[in-house]
Amino acid sequence: MNSVRRIRPLFTLYLPVMPFVLFALFPLYFMVVTSFKKNAELYDVNSVPFLIKRGVTLGHYQLLSQDTLFWSWFVNSLIVSVAATVISVVIGILAAYPLARLRFPGGDSFGVAIFVTYLVPPSLLFLPLSTVVNRLGLSDSLWALVVTYPTFLVPFCTWLLLGYFRTVPKEIEECAMLDGCSRLQTLVRILLPVAVPGVICAALFAFTLSWNEFLYALVFVSPAELKTMTVGVFSELIRGDIYYWGGLMAGACIGSLPIVVAYVFFLDYYVSGLTAGAVK
Amino acid sequence: MARVTRRHFLRVTAGGAAGLGGALALGRAPAVAQTRELTFLTVASFVPETDKELKRQFEEWGAKNKVKVRLDIIAHLQLQTKKAAEVQSRSGHDLTALGPGLGDADLYFDYLADLNDVATDVAPKNGGWLNQDDYLIRGKWKLLPWWMPPFPMAVRTDLLEKIGEKNPDTWEDWLRVGKKGKAIGHPFGTALGHSADANVTMLSILWSYGGAYVAKDGRTITINSKETRQALDFVKRLYTEAMDPEVLAWDDASNNRCLNAGKCIGIHNPISAYESAKKDKVLVPGTQKEIAEVIDHINTPRGPVERKATTGYWCVGIWNFSKNVDLAKDFLRYHFQPENLSRWVDAGHGFNMPFLSNLTRHAVYKSDKQYRFIPEVAKVSVPPSWPGPTTAASQQVLDLYIIPDMFAQHATGKMTADQAIVWAEKEMQEIYAGRKRKP
Repeated sequence: MNSVRRIRPLFTLYLPVMPFVLFALFPLYFMVVTSFKKNAELYDVNSVPFLIKRGVTLGHYQLLSQDTLFWSWFVNSLIVSVAATVISVVIGILAAYPLARLRFPGGDSFGVAIFVTYLVPPSLLFLPLSTVVNRLGLSDSLWALVVTYPTFLVPFCTWLLLGYFRTVPKEIEECAMLDGCSRLQTLVRILLPVAVPGVICAALFAFTLSWNEFLYALVFVSPAELKTMTVGVFSELIRGDIYYWGGLMAGACIGSLPIVVAYVFFLDYYVSGLTAGAVK
Repeated sequence: MARVTRRHFLRVTAGGAAGLGGALALGRAPAVAQTRELTFLTVASFVPETDKELKRQFEEWGAKNKVKVRLDIIAHLQLQTKKAAEVQSRSGHDLTALGPGLGDADLYFDYLADLNDVATDVAPKNGGWLNQDDYLIRGKWKLLPWWMPPFPMAVRTDLLEKIGEKNPDTWEDWLRVGKKGKAIGHPFGTALGHSADANVTMLSILWSYGGAYVAKDGRTITINSKETRQALDFVKRLYTEAMDPEVLAWDDASNNRCLNAGKCIGIHNPISAYESAKKDKVLVPGTQKEIAEVIDHINTPRGPVERKATTGYWCVGIWNFSKNVDLAKDFLRYHFQPENLSRWVDAGHGFNMPFLSNLTRHAVYKSDKQYRFIPEVAKVSVPPSWPGPTTAASQQVLDLYIIPDMFAQHATGKMTADQAIVWAEKEMQEIYAGRKRKP
């Protein structure tokens, strides 16, 4: 009986989930394998693309570290992503709270309008935004990105937090107000501690979107030493019709690490933040 | 916790908004120390030494003239986006690379400074422009043609020997070589999808068979001709008998990979594949022999009518909204001095051939037998709009890959030759009439 109980999850859980896990992990696996392959094997059409058969090389990582400004780009990405995330989450909280709690004319429409702005594609926005960035004198500085990333992060954070805040019973805030808390104090001392999963979820999403962003980083920042990782790797490792596949994959591997680490640490918060409100 | 009053909040936000509004209205950043700075946006060359030499010259010129300089290098695929943003905001770099193709200068005609004086200055020192009339946009010098990577044929000499062939010279020769090669697992390879290489090779074939898509007047679409039908039938045979279907999905890097992987018997491409094979010491599969040793470059093929090819026409221009137009012109004069251009061509191993007569006879083309045909290919290379002038419409025909699509639709059997031609003709007529917008 005990052995059946032990084996059952293998068939009811692990085996059914396995194809999805393999599917999800395949790009990561392929990336890692390619980043350690020698160029001769990468070029060989008869080699098995999923295995390393002719020895491992660190050459592609050396290329990144020694022949490019990769680590500067990494730090730039980190600075921009953290700053844009903090700004966007703070603004998102301040926008989501009144939309979730206060009753005022047009409140619902305003909430929908915020979400709609998230749907405007960056490929349309980058042209007018380039004028704004130029007029603010922020071209070719990381500030250009810190200022423009919230244009797509704030609507998203606001919408996500709006949904989460609505799942928190407002009675606990009313109790706090009866005890003398102001609106702001209620938000900071009562609501936010309860809404930590939602805030972390919004922050994780905002960080991921910033970290992966390409178009604004390409358009608003030109100097090599100020590029973010996404643009820097692409610029340096695609030269005409020569693609440095090993280096590109090595850059992608290292670039994935902060996201992987962030999700590993905050996975539980992330899941509960996403699913809040799914079941009443 | 300190209490934030509504009045205090309003005061802070109003102040912030006023500051932001002020900066926006002023149209520039808060006052900073003003220094002369010249900036140059260009695309990454496949030979990194080319970029290093350009940077060295730029810095040398900057030091001599006490000008701070900044060379920004991006992948060529990013250039269109970057240029669009710079024109939209009327700011950015002073000098910019333009291309591939001369059409940028027509598209951005109103935003580019007139370079007639520079073009006139630099030409006599370098033996004159190769084909001066090709580079004029609406009769004006809005750009300086900078460099092109001529398209010879890269061929595996060991495989040619194996199939008992040598020195294929015509497109029909290449069909025969490709058929024999494919039979032993080494097909011919040329992109037939949405890539710059596909535009180049399909246009080369079209012209070699006597066809053209636009007349010299730049208005009359001439794609519907018996020469185009012959070219279409040839490419269909080339595709079905001498190539693998994967060429329909190839990008610009795919033919390099096919040659260097030891699969393709030949590709129509600049010397980049050979150079990277040499650098990476890629081996012929199953042997210890370097593949670069069995690659040779020969002339671009001749067709029944003539030998003609095109390539990426990379140019350089100056935005007229730049505050440093004169400085930028001065740098161009400096860079286009014969000795500087010569060093720059040398650094690029001849990949970057200038459009100036003397430079086509540069010593680098005699330094390696692989480069011997490059000047010959350059002589028969014409702009992609040939025989018509370069316009925004001709650039759009390229950008929408109308020519490769026409060939591919017939080659794959989706359309008859007549259907493919009628389809392409309609697309081009709409483009030239200005009714079709870019996707």
